[in-house]
Amino acid sequence: MAAPAPADRIPLTGADCFLRAFDAEVARWNGASHLSQLVLRLGPGFDPRRLRELVRDAAAAQPILRAPVRRRFGVGAPGYELAAAARRPAPPVEVHEAAGEPGAWPELFARRMNERRSLRRGELLRFDAVRYAGGAAGTDLALTWQHLLLDGSGSERFVRWLDACARGDARLETLPDPGELGPGPAPTRPLGERGAAARRWQAWLEGFAANAPRSFAGPRRRTRQDLAWDLLTLGEEASARVVAEAGRRAGFLTPMLYYLALAIRAHHAVARARGLDPGSYLVPLPVNVRARGGEGAIFRTHVSLIWFQALPGEVEDLDALVASLKAQRLAAIKSGQIENGGDAMDFARFAPARLYAHLARRAFAGELCSFFFAFTGEFLGGLERFLGAEIRNGFHVAPAPPSPGSCLALSLRGGRLNATHLWQRGVFSDAERARLREQLVADLGGGA
Amino acid sequence: MSEWSREALVERVHAILRDEILTASGGFSPRSNLVESGLDSLAVTQLLLSIEESTGVWVDESLLTPENLRTSETLAELVFEQLKSG
Repeated sequence: MAAPAPADRIPLTGADCFLRAFDAEVARWNGASHLSQLVLRLGPGFDPRRLRELVRDAAAAQPILRAPVRRRFGVGAPGYELAAAARRPAPPVEVHEAAGEPGAWPELFARRMNERRSLRRGELLRFDAVRYAGGAAGTDLALTWQHLLLDGSGSERFVRWLDACARGDARLETLPDPGELGPGPAPTRPLGERGAAARRWQAWLEGFAANAPRSFAGPRRRTRQDLAWDLLTLGEEASARVVAEAGRRAGFLTPMLYYLALAIRAHHAVARARGLDPGSYLVPLPVNVRARGGEGAIFRTHVSLIWFQALPGEVEDLDALVASLKAQRLAAIKSGQIENGGDAMDFARFAPARLYAHLARRAFAGELCSFFFAFTGEFLGGLERFLGAEIRNGFHVAPAPPSPGSCLALSLRGGRLNATHLWQRGVFSDAERARLREQLVADLGGGA
Repeated sequence: MSEWSREALVERVHAILRDEILTASGGFSPRSNLVESGLDSLAVTQLLLSIEESTGVWVDESLLTPENLRTSETLAELVFEQLKSG
């Protein structure tokens, strides 16, 4: 049975450590951090001072929001040092004034994705509000965070919880899942079995090397992280058609496989235009492993990964591609790879971060994968306003290091499909980004 | 002909969901709404694998609809029809 967590320390989950390793790698090779973003386009009436007060009070009530992440004495599993959090400032909420109406997304938000934020100093999240005409014409709000304090689902839960606290429907001192900052459930398998499971996961990954993937950025290199992102938003009618098509082709429970197929085809269109032989398309899909039936944890990452591989020859026929992805998903679940991945990440909590990233890249000659992908379903479903202001749109900007240098994240907000493409500048030419978008729009039924 | 009765299937599906997949509370019944109880795509696949282990029948995911995934009872009915059709 696992020992209870000391009150002054919260251990990182295995998935947290996986992500901490990538943060260390991005810091070392690219001078940045492994950050994610949640973006809201708000109507008039948003009060940034209220948000600043709320975040300050939340950080006082929940020290994890500013706790340094360290490995004590350089050994053991790293954790959030709560006792040191009180000496750290509250997460910043900055306000930026802009003239006119909201139009293109603020360049500032992309710049925030490229900043170096120190886990060791507890620089875990920040808000930036860009107000148009003093807020009278609306506000664009970005929550940028270290992709381990929260995962994508956790970031939505965090925003929802802040809003509930502001309305008096929840308390900052009480998290929706009271046990979420504890050590977590004790392992259900003996150590030897977990070790064997972790090795099976590693062998599964190494099996993909027979058709080794090649990302557009190429293997890891020492280059400054310089990410930017585009947003594609479909109208309501077009989105409804796409959602129906996703359900028809991939099944109503697994629409993400349809969107993954479209993401592969969009990247393939660029590869063809470039005359590039990608070997294969290898893409990890995050899987939410929160306990079901409860409120669910806000903080820390609760994901495993399913990896999908498609050969270039399989990409042209969309139905065949979706069928292949469905078969791969079922095989991965059936062979226990989600649980095996959890065990592998859990073991790696005790490994130095650099070794961990090295292991992840070793099988694929320095590549991590072809590109990153996420489909997160309904974005903040049921939450119409944030701190009193109407949410006009909202979406995720999922992270990607300079290699593979590309990430496509899709979600639905208010019946409209959003597709965010994040890329490392220099990896795609303008014409190639246009080609990627053109293929995506064509596959989405031309509804952009 | 399968040895499984409709009632036995309802009980088996309900037990798998209650004890293995959803680890649900006392209020979870064969008529509880599964999506509201936390059923997601991963849970459904795990459920189908458990049903296959119990009955030997694989229910293709393409047969699943919001209607037959509403409760343990409606899902068991789908499995029962699959068993009948051999």
